[in-house]
Amino acid sequence: MRSSFLGCLSRWILPVLLLLSALPFNASATDARQIATTLCAACHGLDGNSSDPANPKIAGMDVAYLAKQLKYFASGERRNEIMAGIVATLGAADFLPLAAYFSSQKPLPGKVKDARLAELGKRIYEDGNTETGVPACAGCHQSSGAGNARFPRLAGQHQAYTLQQLGEYKTGRRATDRLMVSVAQRLSTDEMKALAEYIAGL
Amino acid sequence: MGMGMVKDCCMALGLLLACGGVFADDAAVWIGIKDAAWNEMYPERIEAMRAKGDAVRGESEFVICQGCHRPGAVGRADGSYPRLAGQHVSVLIKQMTDVQTERRSNPKMAPFIHLHEILPQHVADIAVYLHALPVPANQGQGPGDKLERGRLLYEKDCASCHGNRGEGSDEKFYPRVSGQHFKYLLRESQTIRDGKRRNANPVMVKVIKSYTDEDIAAVADFMSRLPVRP
Repeated sequence: MRSSFLGCLSRWILPVLLLLSALPFNASATDARQIATTLCAACHGLDGNSSDPANPKIAGMDVAYLAKQLKYFASGERRNEIMAGIVATLGAADFLPLAAYFSSQKPLPGKVKDARLAELGKRIYEDGNTETGVPACAGCHQSSGAGNARFPRLAGQHQAYTLQQLGEYKTGRRATDRLMVSVAQRLSTDEMKALAEYIAGL
Repeated sequence: MGMGMVKDCCMALGLLLACGGVFADDAAVWIGIKDAAWNEMYPERIEAMRAKGDAVRGESEFVICQGCHRPGAVGRADGSYPRLAGQHVSVLIKQMTDVQTERRSNPKMAPFIHLHEILPQHVADIAVYLHALPVPANQGQGPGDKLERGRLLYEKDCASCHGNRGEGSDEKFYPRVSGQHFKYLLRESQTIRDGKRRNANPVMVKVIKSYTDEDIAAVADFMSRLPVRP
């Protein structure tokens, strides 16, 4: 009995334990916070509410959406030199815990600076532009701008960042979502500015 | 007639029969129409027709459509986007896959129905979802000044296919016209008369070829006032 237990231990249990210890385990929640502190916080804020309008707020965004963006930065499908450099220091196994960390942070509201511009933005956001075939943003991103796994949260985003991303979709520099390329190509610069203003206030 | 040809014919027949039990009768209907090209069966469409649509999935897939067709697929009274709620499944599948495969020109819609976004299964799901939606009685209507003329034309030329109450036919791929916005009916009727809607039924093109703009407006107005639930 005793020998058979030892035999079982050496033959089966130990190799399995060794194998498990060699597997790359996903970063834990504490690791994710550690990574966020050292790699992300300087630009995005430790709570994901960046103070620099050039850097996006990522707090409260859907976990699958955030993880997907990290993957795109790593593969180069989404071109951003800074993010590519940072993501290169991570393992693919870090993406999901990191995404989960920022997704669980509380998003802070943005600030509307031009109420009239935001009013025009609201019309496009809710109604689109039937002349040019711009669909209502609310159709996918919801009226609240809360978003989901496929269509990201927009609510409260910095104007400058929204504007910059719409511009990248328009030129095709960002083409990770074909629909957004089509939508941005139909938007005028004035409409983009108005939308960015309205979205900041959502 | 070589064996190869016999084999090809058998395969074509097999494909027809393979359209699925429920659609076997429809296949017989469209193949019997003299100019069958308007109702051409091609792989994307056959696959969507054979797929079993799921209304719950269709609802979530419809989000990329509702930015234009509006929540509940009620369309817009200005005619820019048609009402899709309550339309027949066969008609919805035909129009979606026709736009998808560029048999019907619609540059606004094309990127949203592209195969990158919407697979044949999704087409089936969305069609089932849309068909089941309630049709509110607030569709855009015409000016109402030529309704008698519109009624006469409709009863003479349109009712035999689109139905006395504008109910259309799922079995025959004829769209329901009741509950549709006047301005959309007006625009599409003109486009069909002028031969610019490439996937239009040639029988209809022939019937309304001699219609004046006034005739078209009168019949579109009459159709826009048909009761929404026949």
